[in-house]
Amino acid sequence: MAKEPQAKKWYRLDNAGILYSALQTEQYSAIYRFTAVMARPVEPQALRRAIQRTMPRFPGFSVCIRRGLFWYYLEPNRRSGPFLKEDVRCPCRPVRFQEDNGWLVRFYYYENRLSLEVFHALSDGAGTMVFFKTLLAVYLQELGVEMPWGDGILNVEEPPRPEELEDAYLRYAGERALPLRFPPRAYPNTGTPEPFYTLHVVVGTMAVEQVKARARAYGATVTEYLTAVLLQVIAQRQDRENPLHKRPVSLVVPVNLRSFFPSETLRNFIITVSPGIDPSLGEYTFPEIVAQVRSYLKLWADPHKLRALITRNVGFTTNRFLQRVPVVLKNPILALNYRLGGTRPYSGTISNPGQVRLPPQMAPHIDHVEVILGQATVPRSHCCVVSCNGTMAVSFAGTLKETDTPRDFFRFLVKEGIRVKVTANDPGY
Amino acid sequence: MSYCVHCGVELDDAARRCPLCHTPVLDPNRLQNGETPPSFPQRREEVLPVSKKEAGLLLTAMLLSAAVCCVVLNLFLGRGRAWSLYFAGAAGMLWIWFALPLFLRRMVPALRLTADLAAVGVYVYLISLDLGGAAWFWGLVLPLLGAAEAAVLVLSLLLGRPHSLLTRFVMVLCAVAFFTMAAEWSIDRYVRGTWSPAWSLVVCAICVSLCIPLVIVRWVPSLREEARRRFHI
Repeated sequence: MAKEPQAKKWYRLDNAGILYSALQTEQYSAIYRFTAVMARPVEPQALRRAIQRTMPRFPGFSVCIRRGLFWYYLEPNRRSGPFLKEDVRCPCRPVRFQEDNGWLVRFYYYENRLSLEVFHALSDGAGTMVFFKTLLAVYLQELGVEMPWGDGILNVEEPPRPEELEDAYLRYAGERALPLRFPPRAYPNTGTPEPFYTLHVVVGTMAVEQVKARARAYGATVTEYLTAVLLQVIAQRQDRENPLHKRPVSLVVPVNLRSFFPSETLRNFIITVSPGIDPSLGEYTFPEIVAQVRSYLKLWADPHKLRALITRNVGFTTNRFLQRVPVVLKNPILALNYRLGGTRPYSGTISNPGQVRLPPQMAPHIDHVEVILGQATVPRSHCCVVSCNGTMAVSFAGTLKETDTPRDFFRFLVKEGIRVKVTANDPGY
Repeated sequence: MSYCVHCGVELDDAARRCPLCHTPVLDPNRLQNGETPPSFPQRREEVLPVSKKEAGLLLTAMLLSAAVCCVVLNLFLGRGRAWSLYFAGAAGMLWIWFALPLFLRRMVPALRLTADLAAVGVYVYLISLDLGGAAWFWGLVLPLLGAAEAAVLVLSLLLGRPHSLLTRFVMVLCAVAFFTMAAEWSIDRYVRGTWSPAWSLVVCAICVSLCIPLVIVRWVPSLREEARRRFHI
């Protein structure tokens, strides 16, 4: 059994965590969900034991959030939990720091679905992927399946390593920062909001090979191809709704910085870039959008530029004046900054946590994996792509009633010759 | 296995309509197969709104302790004058403004505005008691507060409905003109005993001169289009 985290009594939030904590309200959810669709129905007792065995190995997830005078901080959560619950229709409920015994991770089960929800201040998709895979391995062990450690699965018998809790942003921040700029307002791609705590989820599953083949036909990667598809369908929606006054169409795309800067941290280590098109300059064909996205993402695959971006983002946590501003005043400033620089200039989000590589012993027990993002600050769909066992799951989650974006997105893929199966949490079943 | 006839996507066995375009699924075979459990759970979690009573109690305790401390001090220091009324009144006014909305979550905006202005009125009344100024309170402050409430109340009710930017601007100008007239009326009545409008007429004239072209632009479509073209952002 892993030991309790030794001397560490509390943790500072990394700069992404500071932002997510400041933004957290009843109208915004920085919670995301990893779901494994298993080959057999989930056994709750075995899963409960697996959670109890896995949590001590991941001290970065076994925490609660507290409000200091100047910053939020994390401290080990000694209270009972986290508890396994039966799944609910609307996932990724906004977190309330005082409820649920202060736990910032949640576990759910329903039929074959095993789900984990995590508050983004704790970890990004790559870090959570390690946690989730380890949990699945321990769960399968509890069911009697021989499961080796390794292949991105951590040994829960070993103590946690300090580098897993590192704030990698601070380690890689340099001297020169990119100047702060607020891009122009983009087409918002919003809709009619649903009442309190309603989140519509639509998931399309398809064969990875079919998507790869279509992406290759345009000379692009899967991420570039799907980003281009989303840009195209949003631009077409703008054409229908507002053909006279067109705004830029731009997406937020998180980039895993571990690919550029070696780190074993399980905490946040991502940055966002924003590929887009400006339809006011003229109509873009789909191959042109793919080329635009491809060249944009290549331009940003530059460690020097990314380091300057990290330095800019870290700047507000190291700024001596801002450090001394009380957190109650800092939160509205951060929220306004996010509204101007993180919401208005974008039409949506597409996140690709990557491929979930499973060891051969685990693969037969898991059909596929889905990732769902929580509700945005405005009624808008968030898209997330993940592939596992040869199946790619593309999810759209949002609080809006209209289904234009996922509908046009999946119709486009069908026209491209990709076979798509769609499921949803819609009550029409 | 069903497919949406519009979207071309394969649908879940339990689907009764396409989640993308809401087209009903008509699959005769499904009736023979029986009910299939839905892919996603259908249990809705009951989530209560966040209670702000704790924050309200904390604020109440802070304001109450400040007020009580001042009143007790007043018994020993400066006993000849009720100076503690200033602090106790301010605490009461702040309580109405900030703590009361925390306890009453669904307070009607008009009621809240009335309560806020009433709190101001009571506070100024306490000051007038200390300064012996009942005359200026009843003759000047109360009519001014009444006029302010009437203007803000009507304006907030009108602005609560969807209106164009021009109409909203006209409404605000009308409210400013009304309040100015009411203010001069109150001041004149208190100082001279009669109403002889002067400076408020200047303000009203400016407001009316601004309103007339705005109303014309608002109601004449060609002018409205011209304004939209010239002032577009």
